[in-house]
Amino acid sequence: MNNRLEFDLDLLRRCDRPGPRYTSYPSAPQFSTRFTDADFRRQVARSNQEPIPRDLSLYVHVPFCFSPCFYCGCNRIITRDVSRGAPYAERLVREAEMVAPLFDRDRDVVQLHFGGGTPNFLNAPALADLVDSLGRFFHFSNARTRDFSIELDPRSVRDGDIAAYAAMGFNRASFGVQDFDRAVQLAINREQSIEETLSAIDACRTSGFRSVNVDLIYGLPRQTLAGFLHTLNTIVLARPDRVAVYGYAHMPQKFKAQRQIDDRELPDAAERLGLLQVAIERLTAAGYCYIGLDHFALPGDDLSVALAAGSLQRNFMGYTTHAESDLIGLGASSISHIGDSYSQNFRDLPPWESAVDQGRLPIARGLLLDEDDVIRAQVIQQLMCRGLIDRAQIETRFTIDFDLYFAESLARLLPLAAEGLVTFDGSRIIATSRGRLMLRIIAMCFDRYLATPSVSETQPRHSRAL
Amino acid sequence: MGSPRAGSSPIADDGDAFRFCSTCAFSASCLAHGFDKTKLEELHLLVAHVGPYEEGDHIFREGDPFEAIAAVRTGTVKTYVTDSEGREQVLGFFLPGEVIGLNAISQARYPCNAVALDSVMLCRFSFPNIAALATRVPGLQQHLFRLLSEDIGKAALLAGNFTADERMAAFVVSMSRRHAARGFSATRFRLSMTRTDIANYLRLASESVSRGFSRLQDSGLLHVDRREIEITDPVKLEALARNILRE
Repeated sequence: MNNRLEFDLDLLRRCDRPGPRYTSYPSAPQFSTRFTDADFRRQVARSNQEPIPRDLSLYVHVPFCFSPCFYCGCNRIITRDVSRGAPYAERLVREAEMVAPLFDRDRDVVQLHFGGGTPNFLNAPALADLVDSLGRFFHFSNARTRDFSIELDPRSVRDGDIAAYAAMGFNRASFGVQDFDRAVQLAINREQSIEETLSAIDACRTSGFRSVNVDLIYGLPRQTLAGFLHTLNTIVLARPDRVAVYGYAHMPQKFKAQRQIDDRELPDAAERLGLLQVAIERLTAAGYCYIGLDHFALPGDDLSVALAAGSLQRNFMGYTTHAESDLIGLGASSISHIGDSYSQNFRDLPPWESAVDQGRLPIARGLLLDEDDVIRAQVIQQLMCRGLIDRAQIETRFTIDFDLYFAESLARLLPLAAEGLVTFDGSRIIATSRGRLMLRIIAMCFDRYLATPSVSETQPRHSRAL
Repeated sequence: MGSPRAGSSPIADDGDAFRFCSTCAFSASCLAHGFDKTKLEELHLLVAHVGPYEEGDHIFREGDPFEAIAAVRTGTVKTYVTDSEGREQVLGFFLPGEVIGLNAISQARYPCNAVALDSVMLCRFSFPNIAALATRVPGLQQHLFRLLSEDIGKAALLAGNFTADERMAAFVVSMSRRHAARGFSATRFRLSMTRTDIANYLRLASESVSRGFSRLQDSGLLHVDRREIEITDPVKLEALARNILRE
């Protein structure tokens, strides 16, 4: 796919609007409480019975954080009480013990991801026990290509932790940085030094981690071009394999912590785009490839290789190289994707705990995809991962007439084509270098659920696309 | 919005009072001898459309009195027996146009169970009547004998000492031919049976079936996406199946 990005401020301003991130289609607001654990079990049984059952991905959510970052929209619990970790980890093990036997033993776990919250809220020995238990219930792949990753808060990383994670089998780490600018750090309640961050990245290298990711955020309060550029320069020198640059989504009605942010300190739309532009320019100048949405990677990284080969995938954990696997989410609020279904655990700790304690699967809601959902999910996946839609391929795979089936979507796409975001090339619809930054906007044309917003909707459910 | 997968879905064209269903297992032999549907009615031959049976519904069970054979109109039927320890042995899979109950002809009772693997519609022929008709329609009798011998042949094929890959290839080629015989694509089709059932039928372990499919896929002979099979190298696949299918 074309890796060049074109940055047209006016165009971005005209086209930017709230939209889903498409880590799933249909997106999470469509999940319903009508989906039960019986549905989940049925989907797992079906998935075991495919001619070649899919490999497994495990997502483990650790919701605790020592202090609240004000920008955060994740499901997390702020506490300094480290003793809360042990009972949570015990219940994770019990959940795994319930879920794992539903899957046939010949289905390897090729991807394991610890996310949060702050996974390293659990100390290294507790994490080691947890990974060990998961490895007893599931069959971990021994292949070199397996991805065992962990999100780390550099502020809580102690000496020897990183080496311990490597010994547990982790080979990828992801560090939250956001911005090194001190004024910004104070405004978002996240004081994190350059030194502790870089030394954690270094420790990953010496411990044999295959890849390090750094998360940055643009659009934060008090953020300036000069300050952000300085952060980018520091990061580029540390040369992590992957960099994600997320846009801050200010939705204080929805995320309580964000009410601590003074919205008068937020950059305006033009400043936001300026910050994004400086990030893109700095990273691409330093040799990073644009993977899609908010992600960049060094040319030798697995993501860049997969992008070039057209084999890139996307799931709830973001971009991945693993062929579509079935995803099992463990822990409060985690999402599973089994066969043609999504399901989500209880978001809050008490109902999740009591379900696990009673030996029930802690599933709160979910969705069974219908044929139309499956077709549209595939179209959006192509767009997000390859920057194009291969109409011929969709037609063969689903036995539809693309132009007829998607007449409505194509009509919605026309204004974007007029803006030069997409071009029609034979049987392909291609996101142009101008459109590459607007993949979410293009994907929204194919989202059946956006066409009919619910009447009760009084506030945006989704963040702005940029 | 168009209808997804309309082209690949093996749904039979229903007949009416005058026309046979497009998948009818017997229409060709009857018509060839001047017996159209009206004439069959005159002979009081009971041809009843039954169903739908849903996934997991039994059509008949071992030991039930044998009254009728039935042609599958839509869906897939699995036949099986259980041994004294309760272990299931899969005998066969029946696709649209294929006939179940033939192995009961020599007996008064069905010697096996038949269960629907998805939504199944049948065309039921009361057996005494069709046997009587067969004496008047030589083609029909021949056709019945052919169906019977095919049924016996299918079971015998897998009894030999064949490799897992040969069994897998023979299974896929057989599915492909049977889909093609009903006018559907020979190279792209959906498997409605579970991995466990395929393994049981081929006398392989469940994991061996997956490894077999993976090997065939890695060698470029076919492509598997969930339950959809695409045969990408029919020549090589047929070659691998030749020892079992013998043609």
